[in-house]
Amino acid sequence: MPPREEVIVVGNTKVHLLVGGQGDPLLVLHGAGGNRGWRRWMAAVGEHYTVYAPTHPGFGRSDAADWMESIDDLARFYLWFLDVMGLSKVHLLGHSIGGWTAAELATMRPGVIDRLVLVSPTGLKPDEGEIRDIFFYPPEELLEYTVHDPTTVPEWAELFGGKPGLEEIEGALRNREMAARLTWKPYMFNPRLAHFLPRVQNPTLIVWGREDQIVPLICGEQYRRLLPNATLRVLERCGHLPPIERPDVFANLVLDFLRRA
Amino acid sequence: MKLYYFSEMPHHEFPDAEGDKYPSLRLAFPNTFFSPEIAHRNYQRYLDEYDFADQAGFDGLMINEHHSTPSCVNVSANMTTGILARTTKRAKLLILGNILPIQENPIQVAEQVAMADLISGGRVLSGFVRGVGVESWWANTNPVHNRERFEECHDLIIKCWTTPGPFRWEGRHYHFRHVNPWCLPLQKPYPPIWVPGTASPETAVWAGRMGYTYVPFLVSFEVARELFDFYRQGAAEAGRTVTPDKLGFLICAVTADSKAKALQAGRNFVWRMGPTLRGPLEYFSPVGMRSRAASQFALKARSVSLSKMSYEELVENYYIVAGTPDEVVDRFARVQKELGIGHLLLEAQESRMDHATTMRSIELMGKSVIPAMTRI
Repeated sequence: MPPREEVIVVGNTKVHLLVGGQGDPLLVLHGAGGNRGWRRWMAAVGEHYTVYAPTHPGFGRSDAADWMESIDDLARFYLWFLDVMGLSKVHLLGHSIGGWTAAELATMRPGVIDRLVLVSPTGLKPDEGEIRDIFFYPPEELLEYTVHDPTTVPEWAELFGGKPGLEEIEGALRNREMAARLTWKPYMFNPRLAHFLPRVQNPTLIVWGREDQIVPLICGEQYRRLLPNATLRVLERCGHLPPIERPDVFANLVLDFLRRA
Repeated sequence: MKLYYFSEMPHHEFPDAEGDKYPSLRLAFPNTFFSPEIAHRNYQRYLDEYDFADQAGFDGLMINEHHSTPSCVNVSANMTTGILARTTKRAKLLILGNILPIQENPIQVAEQVAMADLISGGRVLSGFVRGVGVESWWANTNPVHNRERFEECHDLIIKCWTTPGPFRWEGRHYHFRHVNPWCLPLQKPYPPIWVPGTASPETAVWAGRMGYTYVPFLVSFEVARELFDFYRQGAAEAGRTVTPDKLGFLICAVTADSKAKALQAGRNFVWRMGPTLRGPLEYFSPVGMRSRAASQFALKARSVSLSKMSYEELVENYYIVAGTPDEVVDRFARVQKELGIGHLLLEAQESRMDHATTMRSIELMGKSVIPAMTRI
């Protein structure tokens, strides 16, 4: 089923939302790069699940939310979003800062989540190494660190190949500004999150690219240790964007995991 | 027109080829190239030059602050002002300025400026700046809050100077439950406020609305006039009349006994136009620091980067003035005529300009240029 675009009002904030597929609900929270639209992996997962892919407040064409300060604000916002949508229980998948948001949300209200998928999430301070400072690099240089090998990315041309128009440039600027607003200090982690994660008993799949140059793989191991029912799967020859870099493998991983519900 | 002496206190005693190896001299160039022994001597020298500028008759001494860069190792404008408050006698002390958005404690800024004003006998001009992006990285202050923090920090400082304590402050970015600074300025209600500008129309409008003295830095006459128009717009909104005393301008300037010597000395300013400003946009203007309007204005204002201009072009276009005292008087008069300003701030030492050259320039300014300026 092709996706449809909706605008949902949560409090005073209008949020753009892509909804597609069929089956039990899967809420997908995007990373700092913004909502990349209805992607190949979503189409595959959408054959079995209804995918809800909102654009975070302050990102893309969703309303601004300059009052937000942190990722746990965003997590609380999505709890409200679920109320508005009438979704009492969902599978939850988040990538990068969306993964961090998903983890925070799970610690706040684990009962609203069925299964949890965390893809290269930020949120924890690495035991070794550092989370790369994504705001310190020009976008084109950052992309080199983000994707391991562009030649293996099926949707590369569509996502990154063309010269961006004015609307895309403005959207990318908004995305970066809102990401900075939410993650600046401490940079990309919440020192309290590790203390709350053991509350989350939900079955959890953690996915990481072996070659991730944004968030060190050791963070995946830390999440796995702290979450009582978590499995870590590492994709070879893959960087920080597993759903984009290895869409088919990624979709199958997610489907296998969700089907065990 | 009043003249102000300014030194960035550079630390340029390293091979340029080493600096070229890094993305920027700011943030990225390792401080292993910083020499405490050289810095010790330089600080004495730079402070001596400031003292001499006071004796030579400059109307004011401008003091600024930057971080993580060899282009300016004056890391505390208030500390330097405190020293000069004691060692100088008559010049105004223009702090331009305290970088408000990166402050964690505006009350301490209010106290330090007040203390310098008290020590100096009421000679402080208190400039407030938003800073370049490098300072936001240095302080790890979120650049998306830069303007909000600037205005809130300003509001709290002014309240410290105007409202008897104790009082409480619960803003968005600053929270203090017991505000009661036991150090208040000598000047009443508080020292004059100055604000610099390079590209932000919002800052110009705000400064005009507040009635503060506004000073564009190193822009073309055309851009300065546009910024002054924004300033006048803000002033008009607040029902204020703009006099030359509210407008200033900053350029680089040196004079010497011969034109050839002055032109040779003036080449030292090229370093601050190019190598010290080299680096990724993200260093100087991190995400969210500038509004869309300011970004667009900056593109227009810097349609030709200073680093791309030749020395001759920089001189021709008044970014650098270098000549005999008579020539310098003519050039300054032209600046005044073009912009209608009451204050001309002179970055008068840079890079590897040596002490003797700097002192001679200050001396000649005092003997010939400053007296001529009083008639303009």
